[in-house]
Amino acid sequence: MTGCNRLRFQAPALAVAAVMCLAVSACSSSPGKATGATNSKKPLVIGASVSLTGDFADPGKAVKAGYELWAAGVNAKGGILGRKVRLKIVDDTSSPTQVVSNYQNLINQDKVDLVFGPFSSLLTVPASQVAKRYGYAFLEPAGGGPKVFAQKLDNLFFVQPAPVVKSGDVFAAWVLSLPAADRPKTAAYAELDDPFSGPIAESIRNRFEAAGIRTVYKQVYPAETQDFSPIMAKVASAKPDVLVSGTQSEDAYAQVKSLVQLKFSPKFMFMSNGANSPLEFPSKVGAANTTGITSAGDWFPGSTAKGSAEFTAAFVKAHGGSAQTIDNSSAEAYACGQLLEEIAAKTGKLDNATAISALHHGTWPTLLGDLKWDSIGQPQGEFHLVQWQHNSLAPVYPASIAKAAPLYPKPNWGG
Amino acid sequence: MSRGSLVRGGLFVLVLATLPSFGLQHWFLNLMVFVLMFATMSSAWNLVGGFAGYPSLGHAAFFGIGAYSMALIFHGHVLSNGYEPFLLLPLIGLISAAVGFPIALIAMRTRADVFAIVTITFLFMVQTLAFNLRGWTGGSQGLSLPVAPFPAVSFEEPFYYTLVLLLCFTLLVTFGALRSKVGLSLVAVRADEDKARGIGVRVTGVKVLAFCVSVGITAMVGGVWAYYETFIYPQFAIDPLITIAVVLMTFLGGRATLWGPVLGAFVLEAGQQTLAYRLGGSQFYLIAYALVFLVIMLLLPRGVLPTLGDRLRQRRRARSVDSTSGGVTPMAAGAAEPPVALRRGASA
Amino acid sequence: MHALVQGVILGVLTGGVYALMASGQTLIFGIMKVVNLAQGAMVVMSAYLSYQLFVSFGVDPFLAIPVTTVVMFGVGVGVQLVFLRPLRRDDKSELSLLVTFAVALLIEGLLSITFKTTYRSINTSYANSSWTVGGYQITVVRVYAFALSLVSLGLLFLLLNRTRFGRAVRATVQNPDSARLLGVESEKVAALGFGLGAATAAAAGSVYGLLYPFYSGSHYDLISRLLSIVVLGGLGSVGGAVVAAVIVSTSSAVVASTVSPAWSEMTFFVILLLVLLVRPQGLFGKVGRGAL
Repeated sequence: MTGCNRLRFQAPALAVAAVMCLAVSACSSSPGKATGATNSKKPLVIGASVSLTGDFADPGKAVKAGYELWAAGVNAKGGILGRKVRLKIVDDTSSPTQVVSNYQNLINQDKVDLVFGPFSSLLTVPASQVAKRYGYAFLEPAGGGPKVFAQKLDNLFFVQPAPVVKSGDVFAAWVLSLPAADRPKTAAYAELDDPFSGPIAESIRNRFEAAGIRTVYKQVYPAETQDFSPIMAKVASAKPDVLVSGTQSEDAYAQVKSLVQLKFSPKFMFMSNGANSPLEFPSKVGAANTTGITSAGDWFPGSTAKGSAEFTAAFVKAHGGSAQTIDNSSAEAYACGQLLEEIAAKTGKLDNATAISALHHGTWPTLLGDLKWDSIGQPQGEFHLVQWQHNSLAPVYPASIAKAAPLYPKPNWGG
Repeated sequence: MSRGSLVRGGLFVLVLATLPSFGLQHWFLNLMVFVLMFATMSSAWNLVGGFAGYPSLGHAAFFGIGAYSMALIFHGHVLSNGYEPFLLLPLIGLISAAVGFPIALIAMRTRADVFAIVTITFLFMVQTLAFNLRGWTGGSQGLSLPVAPFPAVSFEEPFYYTLVLLLCFTLLVTFGALRSKVGLSLVAVRADEDKARGIGVRVTGVKVLAFCVSVGITAMVGGVWAYYETFIYPQFAIDPLITIAVVLMTFLGGRATLWGPVLGAFVLEAGQQTLAYRLGGSQFYLIAYALVFLVIMLLLPRGVLPTLGDRLRQRRRARSVDSTSGGVTPMAAGAAEPPVALRRGASA
Repeated sequence: MHALVQGVILGVLTGGVYALMASGQTLIFGIMKVVNLAQGAMVVMSAYLSYQLFVSFGVDPFLAIPVTTVVMFGVGVGVQLVFLRPLRRDDKSELSLLVTFAVALLIEGLLSITFKTTYRSINTSYANSSWTVGGYQITVVRVYAFALSLVSLGLLFLLLNRTRFGRAVRATVQNPDSARLLGVESEKVAALGFGLGAATAAAAGSVYGLLYPFYSGSHYDLISRLLSIVVLGGLGSVGGAVVAAVIVSTSSAVVASTVSPAWSEMTFFVILLLVLLVRPQGLFGKVGRGAL
């Protein structure tokens, strides 16, 4: 054939030029911002990559809102240790490739002082490895799946009351605390196949089966499932006393809609997520259908935990709505910031090594309640059981935080 | 001519190979790792989608097969020096090429449009399998790989050099194909498959060979990616957007050219990562991406390199008409780009 | 057995809606030899239109269809004129795949900015009601959706078989060159045909929004199904698309209700590959036409 293609000369040249441009930018931007954090006048720069586009865009934005509210609040109080907080939040497009690049860039290009985590366990795992490599503490509000802790990282702290898998255990605890006559005898499980939903239902199932509650139906369904009629039809024909749904969001709405259409209402109903969304859930399934459905939560409107009132006021001021419309992800993100303030208050300094060693000891009050961690970042607390009553979510169990008595059996749909 | 292009290619490789010794930042090497991944995959895709004219949308399935093979082999193992996964890459390439063989036989019974659809269907099938074969893949929980035990100072370098090797290999394969009977046959297939068959080109063999080599290389890149990420799960290990990115890079640089896909990958991957990082908060990222895509398709449907080549050729031709030393350059220009020339001839 | 019958009922009713979406896509292919990867995005876009009309003005999604079809017809014609017409003829089929995919991304981007990325659903008063017939639950929305799809497909059939435009379209599908010789303005037919394809997406979209929660990224799931359907039915064959839509949605509903929903997506991919193994041109496709 031919080899005398003029392009052969141009192309490598262009590619080399592209490499050079990048390399020059790599060198030139390196010394710039890289001065020590000892200067107390310098702002404290905190980097975080969250999903602003893609699959996790909505929870990602809620996390971003939480970080920003905290930063604004702490700056209004004069910052941490006299340093103003400056956030650098970037978009990871819900992609694990981008999330790795983003933390690389935050840590090595922008040389941020500290980092916060992204949304979802799926992105937290690769991101936390980058943070670990460079000795950064990794406070993350939204990655509590088993694979996160399987890494056994000592720099990672999941800022929620308990690992995600255990978030439904409070429901099991409540059900098993009922008088034997009132307890359900049979149970059905419908579980979304993802790392943060299905395992919650599985954990409940283990405890129920150990306590003698018979499993009459169990189905794992894929994320792209649109039609819940076949699954819910089988649930209805199995007539369980309790339905445990390991749900994420829209699948929870679709399950309820299908059950309403099938006119089957179980005596107890727990949905791991989706049902704890104060705004979306009633608008999607009809407010009258929510009564009696339970879910798990950490922060709740009207909580008296540390900073909760402040957070609620700031959120409503910034975003409108009411306390009832606040997404838990925002509260969890806010709690990451609270922890930094407390570390600074307790130790008098704030850097990655201090944060890592401090958080491994003692109990840390946040708006999610008191948090503490084991050596691999698993929080050691418990979630709250929340239930829909009179068109709003109320914490009902454990008794120490309950604002209303749990309602059971669940009334029929529409009532 | 041959020596010249080899020298230029060698220069490119030399620049790549010595780059890390300039004490570059981690973030830059990290970016280069992803750029090289896409440069290699685009060049590999080019063998099937560019030269043979079969626009596979299913290459991401093989990227995923490579990633999962790597994860399955090393899941739960402790690495001694960290280089073992790289040594097993050729094996992963062979496995994937073997998986690709029957797929190619079935899918290549159809022509361009349907081929694209069949391959993307295959991609969704593989993704469903990755979700559902929980015993192996861990389903949606994902699968972790051991963390590479390289020191933080030079963590990216082994990945970087492995990818430089893979890219060189792919470019050599392409270069070899360009000047061999296989390459000529592929071009003939692209121009008019029936005629090619008529004049005695072993159409099926050539197409299937190109497909297997192409997906084998793609799978090796998938293996490196999995090791670099340390954690994979179905949505992103088998992601249609990977294929789309690769296709777009090839089209941007120039289909059926040696350097086009590489150029496309350097520009687009670096651009996209930087865009997502810099444009952070705004959501215009997707729209910007789509617009770049559309502008390329409408203004440079044949890619940057062929279009530039045409311009250059026209200018040379104009000059050679003026001067008396014409004759040599037009001939060289005429032979400059066989794929396009042949294609035009056939479809006219 | 109960589950099987319930699955079949569900599948057939849903199949109607997919038939409507797919008929537009296969029509576009028939006329222009363009595989429209933006069909799913157009469905989602029209679902958003219906949603907005319902939320802002309380317009019932079924009554919104005339509005959405007209709007989407315009969008379709615009896309054809701006993005597809300039493509060169000799590599149109490859490039159009990419161009329509880019259009899909563009629509997704615009929708995600306008409507955010939370799932939306259109909750009409009858959204949750159902009839019980012989022990089987039949949801009202699905029956309406099915009826609407039949009516729309009927209209499409009349349009193609009883009008001048329809004759021009069919002539173009059968043989573009002869059609041009006979005085059919192929460019105009292409633009109007693309608009028509988008209009069917619009009708289907309103219903889609009633049946399922959706967001800007929903088009990826849709397009993979639609592609399987049109290839299975034979690219360019409207009748084939209808049959294939029913086969695909019934088989996946049956697998979902008898085996496991996890494998239901897999069902139609397998059916598709098997059919292509035996008949590369699909069930009702013609050999030797266009790209086939």
